[in-house]
Order: sequence, then structure tokens, then C-alpha cells
Amino acid sequence: MIEIKNVTKRFGQHLAVDNLNFTVNEGEILGFLGPNGAGKSTTMNIITGYISATEGTVTVDGYDILDNPEEVKKRIGYMPEFPPLYLDMTVREYLNFVFEIKKVDLKNRKQEMDRILELVRITDVRDRLIKNLSKGYKQRVGLAQALVGNPPVLILDEPTVGLDPKQIIEIRNLIKQLGRKHTIILSSHILPEVSAVCQRVVIINKGRIVASDTPENLSKRLGESSKLTLRIAAPERQAVKVLRDVAGIKYVEAQGVREPDTIDVWIEAEKDIDVRRPVFNALSRAGYPILQMKSMDLTLEDIFLQVTTQEKVEVS
Amino acid sequence: MLAVFKRELRAYFTSSTGFIFMGFFLLLSGFFFAMTNLFPASPDYNAVLGSITFIFLIVVPILTMRLMPDDKRQRTDQLLFTSPTSLTGIVLGKYFAAVSVFVLTLLITCIYPIILSFFGNLATWEIVGGYIGFLLLGSAFISIGLFISTLTENQVIAAVITFSALLFMWILDWVTQGLPTDKTSGIIFAGIIALALGAFVYFNTRNIYVGVATTLVGAIIIVLTYFLADKYFFDGFIVRVFEWFSLLKRYEEFQIGILSLSPIVYYITFSAAFVFLTIRVLEKRRWS
Repeated sequence: MIEIKNVTKRFGQHLAVDNLNFTVNEGEILGFLGPNGAGKSTTMNIITGYISATEGTVTVDGYDILDNPEEVKKRIGYMPEFPPLYLDMTVREYLNFVFEIKKVDLKNRKQEMDRILELVRITDVRDRLIKNLSKGYKQRVGLAQALVGNPPVLILDEPTVGLDPKQIIEIRNLIKQLGRKHTIILSSHILPEVSAVCQRVVIINKGRIVASDTPENLSKRLGESSKLTLRIAAPERQAVKVLRDVAGIKYVEAQGVREPDTIDVWIEAEKDIDVRRPVFNALSRAGYPILQMKSMDLTLEDIFLQVTTQEKVEVS
Repeated sequence: MLAVFKRELRAYFTSSTGFIFMGFFLLLSGFFFAMTNLFPASPDYNAVLGSITFIFLIVVPILTMRLMPDDKRQRTDQLLFTSPTSLTGIVLGKYFAAVSVFVLTLLITCIYPIILSFFGNLATWEIVGGYIGFLLLGSAFISIGLFISTLTENQVIAAVITFSALLFMWILDWVTQGLPTDKTSGIIFAGIIALALGAFVYFNTRNIYVGVATTLVGAIIIVLTYFLADKYFFDGFIVRVFEWFSLLKRYEEFQIGILSLSPIVYYITFSAAFVFLTIRVLEKRRWS
């Protein structure tokens, strides 16, 4: 559906996007991750035709953004990082304006508008001036604007920034729901959001792709050894001693006392060995109850930090 | 285009700019109407239009300063430029919105000649011609303001630069009178134009040969014109060039009741050129 080929963007001497290549399939929700200044917004601005690439091509649904800008723009709903709102209009006037500049010719515009208002839950503020709305509502009006004309492709640049936790969950569910009918590119630096919503993640740093896979594969690929944290009701020295004797454990480190008469221990096992049962057995034989055991799978956060600081991961 | 036009026109009247423009324009034109026609009991309404052209200096910056910077500030340019509406449509929508506020104001001033008509016979068609000229002159100034508003993201800077540019238009007429008219200075001035043209080409293509070639072609044309075509061509050349750029000079014809085609074409071309430049600047910005 969206194809990005060798896209490079220079701002003077500064290389913002460096030879980017990826495709987004129809109906897919792609997460676009990267630290600040990685080139996420620049890439999105190029895909939507707001700025043009220095080199490379972007095609949407077979149309090139340079050759057929209007056809491409008709197919994209774009929600930029800062929602592009006219503050002196009411929500309804604003959306009417968007209908007009997007050249959406509908006989049932009113129903379509009501549907969108209902979808992003702003029906109750539809006659209020946008400048008087709260940040969360403004964000939703920005999303509503992207949905006008029911475009097959949605490009959302950090759609949940500035929302309260309840609103974030609502918007995430909405995006998931939209993903059934639309192809979506979603940029974010909130990592759990991406793993919750997206089927595939592209991580970029300094304008280059450093990783691209499903969230699960990424964490599998990077999880070289399994790590556990334990809280044991035992004196520190004994607990460490018992654990050191368990087969398959590579490394044991006491983390200090967080709860009276217990000790927190961090252990690392050999790769592909599940040490949870042996650890339990060893400690129970020694008479030290385990109060807590947590496996430390690499979260997307760890992956993100790892690839954006080390750039070790090869691109699949 | 229509959507942008409607929005901009509306924005003039949801903010105070439209009202400030109208109020100020009507206040000054009313004052001059009273001083020129009412108190001396004179029927020469075109004299009013002629003497209020200086209002453009102050009101055009008010009208045009927010056109582009406002969208940039609210980031609504992202919505406009990623919509299937073309850049030309967006710029024209904005331009015509500003012109419409001006036309609306002019329509209100039509009350003045109507008042006059109660007291005697008016040269109706001369006044209509005067209005046409006034409208075209104002539209040309607005196109300059539109262009300047795209060059900056700050409304105040846009207003100040527009004011300076318009002021330059006025000074142009005074300066012209003091310019040298002899042959040598004419040729030197033509040389400077050729050099500036070469520099412009160089900065746009980054190719020194093309730039030098442009200057040389210019120099050759100057030499050929002098020796082969017309020995007296460069007498008063500077004055003619400056006069050609003078928007105000062309308005004099309308003021005395002559409606000829050439100033009309000139004003429309002038406005179209600046609207075109505005589109080019916006287009170029997306590439850099």
C-alpha cells in the first residue's frame, strides 16, 4: 500500500533522513519508533507530501507523490504532531472546512460528520470554539480531521501525546478498531503503545532504520539470556550461596534489602535454559521461601534503548 | 480554492483585522470626503479617491500581514498543503479573500458619491472609472503584501516590511524627479541591471558560467542598442525604468477620468506576477 524507496532528506548540511526503505501492507498497523530528532516526523511529512524528499520515491496505492500528488493526498488522512486546528472556528465549522478542502463530495455529509464525531467522541463539543477546548479534545479533533473522507491510509504522528491515561486507552482502542479498515502508520515514543497496537515496528535512529520486525520477534531476537529477579526470605549470604549452586545459572547478584528480613536477588541464566523450577526446588530444600519471582523479558523499551544507543541489530 | 477563500474571509471578521481595516479606511476616506467635497461644496469626487491612495500604506499591511504567518503559526499549513487542494488554489483563495474585504469597504464608500448626487449632477462614468482604477491599484498593493507575508513567519515583521515596500513605491515617484537623465549614467545603470541579473541567475543555478554568460549577453545587448538601434535610447533611461515600476503614476489617468486598457492590463499583470511569485516561494520552501 505504501512504499518508501531510498528516501533521503537533507536540510542544508543536516541529514535528517538517510536512505530509508520500507513498505506498509494493506490493513497493517505499522509502528514508527525513534528517539526525538530521529526523523519520524520528517518521514511522515514526506509521505504526506508536506515537504519533498531530496532523493527517493514514495508511492501510495501505486501513485507517486511527485507525479500524482492529488491522488496520493486524497488517499491519506494525516494527523501531524501538532493538530492543525483553526482556533477561531467551532469543531463543526472546522470539519466542514476540512470536508471542502479535501474535496470530499458527499450527499450525506451530515451523517458522515456525525459518524466521525461519534467515533472520536467529540459530539458533545461540536459547537464549541476549538480554542476553548482542552488539549485532549483538541487532539481528538485533530484525529477527526484525519478521518474526514474515510481515506484508506492514516498517518498518525504521536496521536496520544498530552492525553490522560483514560483517553490514551480510548484512542489506542480506536486506532486498533480503525486498523481493520485502514492502513496505518503510527509514530510514537511511548513504547508500550506500539507493542499494544502495532503488528510491525520500524525503529529509526538518526534517519536510519535500525530494526524492523514484529514486537514479539524483536524481543525474542534480542533476549539472549533469561533474567529473573527474586525476593527470598533468607539472609543474603545463604541465599546467594544456594543459588550459585543451581545448575544453569550464570550470574547471581544481591540487590539489597527492600523488605525487612528478605533479600532481593538478580540472576541471569544460560541461554535457552529455564531455571525457575531448579531455583524453586533448591531454595525450598534449603528452607528459604520465595516471596516473589519475576522474569525480566526484554521489553520494547530495552530493545529501543539497545538499538538506538548501540545500533547493533541488523535490519531484517 | 473556494473553501480557503470562505475561511479566510470569515477569519477577517472573527478576528479584529477586518474591522480595523474597514474602520480605518472609512474614517480617513470619510474625512477626506468631507474636506474635499462636502465643506467646499465641490462635486469632484475623483479628487477624494486620488488623495486617499496613501491610506494603502497603512491599511494594506493590516490586511495582508496575517495571511500566511497565521497558518504557519497554527500549523494549519500542514493541513492545507497535505490536502488535495493545489497550492495555486490555496494562494488564490487567500488573495481573493483579502481583495474581497477591500472591495466590501469600497462598496461602502459608494455612499459618498450617492450623497453628492442629491446636490447636483455628477460625472458618473468618471467616478466609475476612478473606482475601477482604485480597486486595481489596491489589488496590486495587496498582492505585494501577500508575497511579503510568505517570506516571514512573524506577522509584525510582515506588516513592517510590507509598509516599507509600499513606502518605497511612493518614494519612487519623488526619487524619479531627482535622477540623472544623461547618456552615461543611463548606460551605467543598464550595466548594473545586467550585472544584477547575472548575479540572480548565479545564485539560483550555482553555476558561475551561466551567471557570467547572462551578464555578457546583457552587456552585448546594451552595446548593440547604443551603436546600432537608437543612440538616444539611454537618455533618461533611469527615469523611464523607475517610472515603469510606478504603480501610482498609472493611477493618474483614472483620476482624471480616462479609462484606457494599458494601465488596467499593467495592474492585473502586476498582481498576477506577485501571486505567481508567492506560489513559487511556497513551492520552493517544500523542496529545501
